[in-house]
Formats: sequence, C-alpha cells, structure tokens
Amino acid sequence: MDPSFDDVWAECEDLFTQARKTLATLKETQPSHVVQASVNALFRTTHTLKGMAGMLGFHSFSRAAHRMEDIFDLMRKGRLRSTDSLIETLEAGIQALESGLAGLRRGRPEHEDYLFALRRQLGELEALARPSEGGNQDLSSLLDLPLEALKALSEYERTRVTTVLMQGTSIYGVTVCLEFATFDERLRTLSEALSAGGELISTLPWEVPEDREGLAFLLITACREFDPSRLPGLPDEILGTSLLADPSRVPDSLREEATVEAPPVQAPVAPDPPPPPVPVQEVEILRLPAHRVEALEARLMEVGQLRDAASLLMREPGGAGTERPLALMGRIEDGLLEVQKDLLQMRMVKVESLFARIEPMVKSLSRDTGKPVKLSFQGGDLELERNLLGRLTEPFLHLIRNALDHGLEAPSERLAQGKLEAGSLRISAIQRGRNLRFDIRDDGRGFDLALIEARGVALGLIKAGESHSPERLYRLALEPGFSTQDRASQISGRGVGMDVVRAEVESLGGEIHISSEARRGSLIRLTIPLTRAVVNCLKVRCGGFGFGIPLGSVLRVQAGPHIIHGGSQVEVHGMSLPLESLQACLGLPEPDGQRAFVVLTQQGASARSVEVAIGVDEVGGRGEVLLRSLPDLAHSRGIMGASPQEDGTLWVLDPEVVLGLAMDSLMRRVARV
Amino acid sequence: MFDRGSWLQARAAGRDLLLSTLDLREVVTPTPVSPLPGRPRGIAGVVIHQGEFLPVLSWGDLPGCEVGTGTPVALAVMRLRLGIPLDRLVGTLDLGPEAWRETPEDDPWRPWVDAVGRVGERDLPRLDLDRLITLLRQFRGGR
Repeated sequence: MDPSFDDVWAECEDLFTQARKTLATLKETQPSHVVQASVNALFRTTHTLKGMAGMLGFHSFSRAAHRMEDIFDLMRKGRLRSTDSLIETLEAGIQALESGLAGLRRGRPEHEDYLFALRRQLGELEALARPSEGGNQDLSSLLDLPLEALKALSEYERTRVTTVLMQGTSIYGVTVCLEFATFDERLRTLSEALSAGGELISTLPWEVPEDREGLAFLLITACREFDPSRLPGLPDEILGTSLLADPSRVPDSLREEATVEAPPVQAPVAPDPPPPPVPVQEVEILRLPAHRVEALEARLMEVGQLRDAASLLMREPGGAGTERPLALMGRIEDGLLEVQKDLLQMRMVKVESLFARIEPMVKSLSRDTGKPVKLSFQGGDLELERNLLGRLTEPFLHLIRNALDHGLEAPSERLAQGKLEAGSLRISAIQRGRNLRFDIRDDGRGFDLALIEARGVALGLIKAGESHSPERLYRLALEPGFSTQDRASQISGRGVGMDVVRAEVESLGGEIHISSEARRGSLIRLTIPLTRAVVNCLKVRCGGFGFGIPLGSVLRVQAGPHIIHGGSQVEVHGMSLPLESLQACLGLPEPDGQRAFVVLTQQGASARSVEVAIGVDEVGGRGEVLLRSLPDLAHSRGIMGASPQEDGTLWVLDPEVVLGLAMDSLMRRVARV
Repeated sequence: MFDRGSWLQARAAGRDLLLSTLDLREVVTPTPVSPLPGRPRGIAGVVIHQGEFLPVLSWGDLPGCEVGTGTPVALAVMRLRLGIPLDRLVGTLDLGPEAWRETPEDDPWRPWVDAVGRVGERDLPRLDLDRLITLLRQFRGGR
C-alpha cells in the first residue's frame, strides 16, 4: 500500500476509536441533548469514513459506510429511537467496517458487502424508520412563530422540535440584535451558553428593529429550565425571550401513540441539577517514526551534558571565570533551538501529502461520473502543521467532490459550449504572510446564483423580491443544510458538506471565499493561518523594537552615509523608489532620520510588482527563527507573529501588509502636501 | 443570575475587584511584558505563558482606570487567553445571592462589570470577562 496514505489510515483508525467510544456513551443514561450531540458526531464520522474510502478507491466500503451514515441520519432525525438492540446493531456495523478496513490495509481485496452479516437487522431498522402513510409527525406548527419563520426550519430542525416536545421539553426563543463588528463572536458565545443548558435547535435570521443597527437572530432552544438572566448577553443585545412551545399543547393522542410505539430506553432525566455542558475533547495525535523520537532524545541528552559541564565549572573552587561557562551557555542555547526546530518539524508535513490524497479520488470520481478531468497542483513543497492536514482533508474532499459532481459539465455539454472535453481542476497553495492560501479552481459551469437564491427563499434564509449580492448568495451556499440538489448521491449533495467546510475552516481561524462566473468556472479560496513556522528572516531594529523580515520578500538591503527620511526617494540600481520609515508604517513615533533601508517586494511577484524601500534604524544579521502566531487580541497590523529571542521579542513582519501600510502612509504624506 | 461561587478578591487599577475563579486558569508571577509595536488599545503587550504568547491587559486604556505606577504582584491568566495584571491579592471568598446587586449607573467600570458584591462594608465590582473581551475587540475595530 502506498505509504503516502499512512495518514489516511491513521485518521480512519482514530475515527473508529472515537466512534466506539461515542457508541458506548449511548448505552448510558444521558440528557437528550447529549445523546443528540453523540448521534450527530457518529453521523459525521461515518460521512467522513465514506469520503475517505471513496478517496482510496474502496467503493464497496464507501457504500457500506454510506448505509451506516443513513442509519445515524435517521436517528438524528428522530425516526429511530436509541434502544439497546439498535446500539448493538450499530456497534456490530462499526466493528464490521473497522475489520474490513484493517483487511484492506493489509492488501486484502474488497468485500462485496461489508454489512452482509447484519443485513436483516439493518433492513428491519430501515423499514421501521420508513415514513408511515400520511407522513411523519411534525409538531413544528406548535411553535409560536410567524409562518415565514416556520418555513425556514429544515427537516432536521422540525424533527428535533417534534421529538423534544414529545419528550416533554419546552422550547424557548431568544431574539438578539448584535453589532456587525462582533456578531459572529457574540453569536458563538450565546449559542454555546444555550447548548450548555439544553439543545440549540436552530438559529434563524430575524428582523432588525427600526431603531437599531446590526444583525438580528432568533435562537430556538429546548431546555427543561430556562433562565434568561443567565444568558451572557451584553446590555441591549437581547431583544426578548419567550416560550415558543409548551409540551402540554401536544395532543394527548399523539403522546399516547408515541408511548405505545416504542418508549425510549433511557431513564427520564432529572430536571435538577441542570445538565452539564457537553465535554469537547480535541486531542491531537502525532504518529512519528521511532527513530525521530530517539534522535530528539539524543539531542536533549547532549544539551543535558552541556548543562552538567557548565554546572561543574560554576562550582569549581576559585571560580572558572566567565568565558568557558558563557561558551557552554551559547552551545546550550543552540542545542535548545535545534530541539525546538526538530519538534516543530515533527508537527509539519508537506502540502503535497494533502494533494496525494486528492489525486486518486479525482481519478476515481472522473471515472464514475464519466467526466474527464485535467488535474494540476501547485505549491506542494510548502509545509503546514500535521494537525491542520488532518482537519483540512475532509473539507478539501467535499470541495473536490462538489467541483466534479456539480461544477464540471458532462463532456458533450462542454463540447457544445466550445470548451475542451476534459474539465480543468487546478489546486494551488501559496504562503501569504502568516497564512497558507489554497485556491481550488475549475472551469465548469460556475455557481448557479438563481438556483441558490430560489433555494434560499424556500428555506426562508432570504426574502423573495429583494436584491441579493453574489457574495451574499455564495455565503448562503455555506449555510448548514443548504443544498440545491434534490437528492443525495454517493458523491455529494447531502447538504452536509459546505457548512462542514466553513465550520472547519473557521474553527482553524481561517476564511472561505467563493467567486464564480457563469459558464466560466469557480474559485474557492481557503485562507488558513499557521500557528508555528520556521521563517528565514533579516533582523532589523527600529524605534527600540527588534523586527524580522521574511527573506522571501527582501529584494535588497542598503546602508549609506546619507540621512534619509520617509516620503523621499532612494536610488536602487538606477531606479528611483519611494521610501517610508518602518516607524511610520507601524504607527510608531517618526525617527529623525535613518541611514539604512530594505527594499520589499511582493512574494512571488511579477515584474510589475510594487517595490518600496522601508527605512530602518539598524540592520542586523539573518537567521532562522521559530515563529509563533499572536493570539487574536494581540494582533497588530503589519505583524504576523513573534519569536522569543535572547535579547527580547523579535516581531516578525508581514511584508504584504507592511507594503500596504507603506503605500497608505506615503499617500497621506502627499495629501498633506 | 447571581450564583454562589468562589471569587478571587484582588486590587488593580486603583480599586478592589472580584474575579470569578471559573474564569481563572491560574495566577502566576508576572514577567516583563514585551510591548507590542503599534499595540492595540487595551493590550499592553505579551508575555510567554506555557510556551505561547499571552496578551496582557493595559488597565490604563480602560475608561475610569488608574494607570498602574508600580510593578504588579501577580498576573491572572484568564480563560480566552488574557492576562490581567493585579497590584494586590487579597484572597478568595464565597458570596451568597443576597450579596449581589446591579452595578451603579455612574460606575465608570460598568462596561465590563456585571454586578457588585458586598464584601464587608464595601461594594466590589465583579469583572465580566466576556464583556471585557468584547470591549477590547471593539477598541480594535475602532482603530
């Protein structure tokens, strides 16, 4: 088996371990919202396994995982109740998949049906969950909400409303109005608080009061004890709270029917004390060859020996002077820097290993869909943290599946439009400052904005007749449960993909941006911040601070006898370049004058790129530094991270941003004149 | 809304205040703060804490706060990764529901204080970490 898939196997193993643990918790008495969270997690796990198996070319396995995913989907929609026998069947199913995958890893051929031994039980479950004549119960109409809001609830949300009401839990609504600048953070805080005390069923856009500015939302939550005063809302944020549905309004006939049909196995949950928040455990697992750990141990041993030698010298009668201990200290510091770099290197992996996972999947999908694809990659040599690779894989697979399934046209359609028969799919990675930017481009039909708009109106996410910008519509495509496809396929169209992509990218502190042109293709851009990196820097000093400038953006360093000032021009190789002091760029007090400057240019830029000379007080040496990102609250424009050094903190500049700041500052100077 | 719980009583920016121990990760000896070039309002700089950079609050940037003159005696490491310098540690205490009341309208700390608790003869402000973080983000957005 291709060793480049080692990470995929390892992730599959982790997924199975997690699935077994989660299934085991379903056997215990748990508050209903905890059970719901577990079932959702299992649904996503099997969804991911399906995708990974497809990527590896194991289609029979992928079908089996798809079937298990369907069962968990039925559970989360409340069509299957969690009983001992159901959990046993699911455990057997997960076990069958795990054994099957282990066999595949050892090179065994694919089974025709991995779930053959469970065919009878699974068939019964599917039959049990099949909607009865007359459809499923839907108690969402009991919610005291306008019709438009009711229409906006997804099928899953309606089933949750029905289920919690049948279980005797009340449903409350919280309307909030949040400021544009901080609404995402505040909404997350409020959602987490509501999830901790119950189940957050839905978050719907709401009408902003006339006298207010910002964004308004209605949060629908189910809980046994609702205390609005415990909500972490800021003054004026919470517009109102109300009881949306009381379980006593559920008709007795329905309640009796539900009781007779299949009572839940779990004991009723005591209302007091309130349920604890669902624990979230995110453990990063690194798998490393033993020899790398041994090499690290050896290096640490060397550092330890140096420390012992220094210690002995210090205790020598009469003292050893300062020269030898200082020399040893220098060697200890070098050794520790090497250890830090080794440790960082263990966490890093080349982007090409992400690409290696994509290529076979594209080939397989191309074959299955009958769409020839010309696939190209760029930027495989860049590095990213191993945990990022693990978390980016599934979002990438979703995006690629979507691009092939919905983006690229069939060959006949392409030929009719004058395009090449084979579609083009280009995936590139580039480092921009502290961010890694991935572009996924296809030359297919582009996003169908009219279809997205119609679907958004149908779901109640936007209003009909209003004008919506393409950006707004693209964002809709990233909403949970949003899919313009009428049916789910083995490839895509379940509506679970794009919101998962957005959630995962945003949880990494990144952003997703979509642009598209009808019949020309689409571009999906993921921007992911790196938390650590080894950066080769030019060290300079300015305004009493130490700065590092990534060498990739440094075109030239020049120092001379003449005093230079921001806003002047300097001659570099016969070219006149604008000069701005680094102090002016960063908002520090303006220097009296400087003698050195660094010419910055855009990384990987063309001949027409911007070049600006940045004045600095002092130019130091160059060297590798271990860059750590700064936490959100400490972000300062122009600085992408920092590195602790012997003589203080070295602030590593983001050359792209500094170039922009320099241009702004120069324009302000011109405007003042 | 007023819970029984443990509170850390400390002094900072010229006043005694209460920090929820639920918000508190640990209290450490302060190390010199590396000032951020072009620092965002409300953040004095960063310190290294457990191998990562930790932003440190600048009390002097908050309305109604005195600028500290001496060296803080402790740094409270709060959840959501914020360091709060403290000039004096008094101790921990429990306060019952009857001890709490709304923050007075004219209290300049009101933007980040959600209640005051009666301790002895004094009403001590209770720091609301979420409000404080939101305020710091607003400072940044307003630059």
